[in-house]
Amino acid sequence: MRKYQNIGDKLIPIIFILAILVLWELVVNLGVVQRYILPSPTDIVNALLANWSDIMMHTWVTFFEGMTGLLAAVFLSLIMAIVMDQFTVVKKAIYPVLVISQTVPIIVIAPLLAMWFGFGIAPKIFVVVLVCFFPITVNLIEGLQSVDGELINLVRSMGATKSQIFAKIKFPSALPYFFSGLKIAATYSIMGAVIGEWLGGKAGLGVYMLRARHAFALDLVFAAILVIVIVSIMLFYGIAGIQRALMPWKKLKEELE
Amino acid sequence: MNTCHNKCVLKVVGVTQEYNHKNIIEDIHIHLNQGEFVSILGPSGCGKSTLFNVIAGLLTPEAGKVFVNDKEVTGETGVVSYMYQKDLLLPWRNVIDNGILPLEIRGIPKKEAREKVKTMLSVFQLEDDGEKYPIQLSGGMKQRVSLLRTTMFSKEIMLLDEPFGGLDAITRLKMQEYLLTILKKIKGSVLFITHDIDEAIFLSDRIYIINGSPAHIIEEIVVPVKHASSEEMMTSGELRQLRSDILKRL
Repeated sequence: MRKYQNIGDKLIPIIFILAILVLWELVVNLGVVQRYILPSPTDIVNALLANWSDIMMHTWVTFFEGMTGLLAAVFLSLIMAIVMDQFTVVKKAIYPVLVISQTVPIIVIAPLLAMWFGFGIAPKIFVVVLVCFFPITVNLIEGLQSVDGELINLVRSMGATKSQIFAKIKFPSALPYFFSGLKIAATYSIMGAVIGEWLGGKAGLGVYMLRARHAFALDLVFAAILVIVIVSIMLFYGIAGIQRALMPWKKLKEELE
Repeated sequence: MNTCHNKCVLKVVGVTQEYNHKNIIEDIHIHLNQGEFVSILGPSGCGKSTLFNVIAGLLTPEAGKVFVNDKEVTGETGVVSYMYQKDLLLPWRNVIDNGILPLEIRGIPKKEAREKVKTMLSVFQLEDDGEKYPIQLSGGMKQRVSLLRTTMFSKEIMLLDEPFGGLDAITRLKMQEYLLTILKKIKGSVLFITHDIDEAIFLSDRIYIINGSPAHIIEEIVVPVKHASSEEMMTSGELRQLRSDILKRL
């Protein structure tokens, strides 16, 4: 019974998305919207296949920037969260700055980064770090601070040192929070790289879209969007998979519920 | 009966602890002999847990001293073992790995620690549950694992802070008998916090009644006989008298 319900739950969004695609196809093919204004889904897939090797080359560049930025953001977040957790003064000083930094539109910062760092790969990675850093850090900090005080007292009563408390209790407790942040950051990472590229560069999906747009090749713009969506979703599920492998007890919990 | 014998393992002398410039507990004198089960009985929120935090070394008292085996350990952690009402098991570790936590903290290699815990599983009637995660265990089972972890740290002096307070009445009775069975096997000394008079009478050799604001020890009672089961205890006339005496003091 439950098995059927699970299948049903998965089918609902698939059917809904298929319905939208069919409707879209019909609207374009019946001439309600001109093809050069809005290409149909099949046009987009055909354009993607026709320019496959070209698009893949640009995708690889964007993917590389996104991953490098994401890894750098993870590294920085870990350091930042640990320091903020251990020293309350640092947290009080930095936390508001972090929040303020997120209110500045990234699209405004990106051209400045191009001015400062040129049109190479560095400013793109920098944009990715900027967008990915915040969700990871905020989630990790919350995870580290939400550990049960009695649990900390218990291990303190066993004579645990500060670093033992961190390594054996706080960090593992914060892992689910860390992964929530990481999943959000991963989907942002590709978008961040594209924003960086949008302002100029030699390669990458952002650059490719810009060129396609100038050539009024909207089917190629949409093809690039499709690739961005697919890569971002793959990253999301890839990280969810790593999370499940690292935290078998979570899976048990889901099965029991 | 107030004297501390030569096999006295824990002695608390004149402990006073304040919070927000107000004394919570005042001039507490208690002791625990080797192999003894002593309860601290008092209403909720009267400062019993504060006393435990002082004994465990988590708080340094305003006045007074704590001795373990005649050595002063006031404000020192890592001396006595502590168990809370919440099981506080680590959800990411299975039963065995939860059990090794205190040994790990002491620096014993994981493999060796696991072997030690495995030999204790049968004593705690957990032989089939070593590989299970806390999420797969019932409330009573979790407290068994928590007790196992507590004894892995030290069985010489165990502070149990209302360990069965979160369990339903039936599980609770079972766990009380379970605790006595375990203690008979491992020969530990226990200081036990409770607000349940029957629980205190059933489990203890001695009871300290604590009450008032600031809380202090009102009376020390020696429980005359230990009974085999809780049902027998409920119907025994002598203990019914003791029960009503205690109730009057609270």
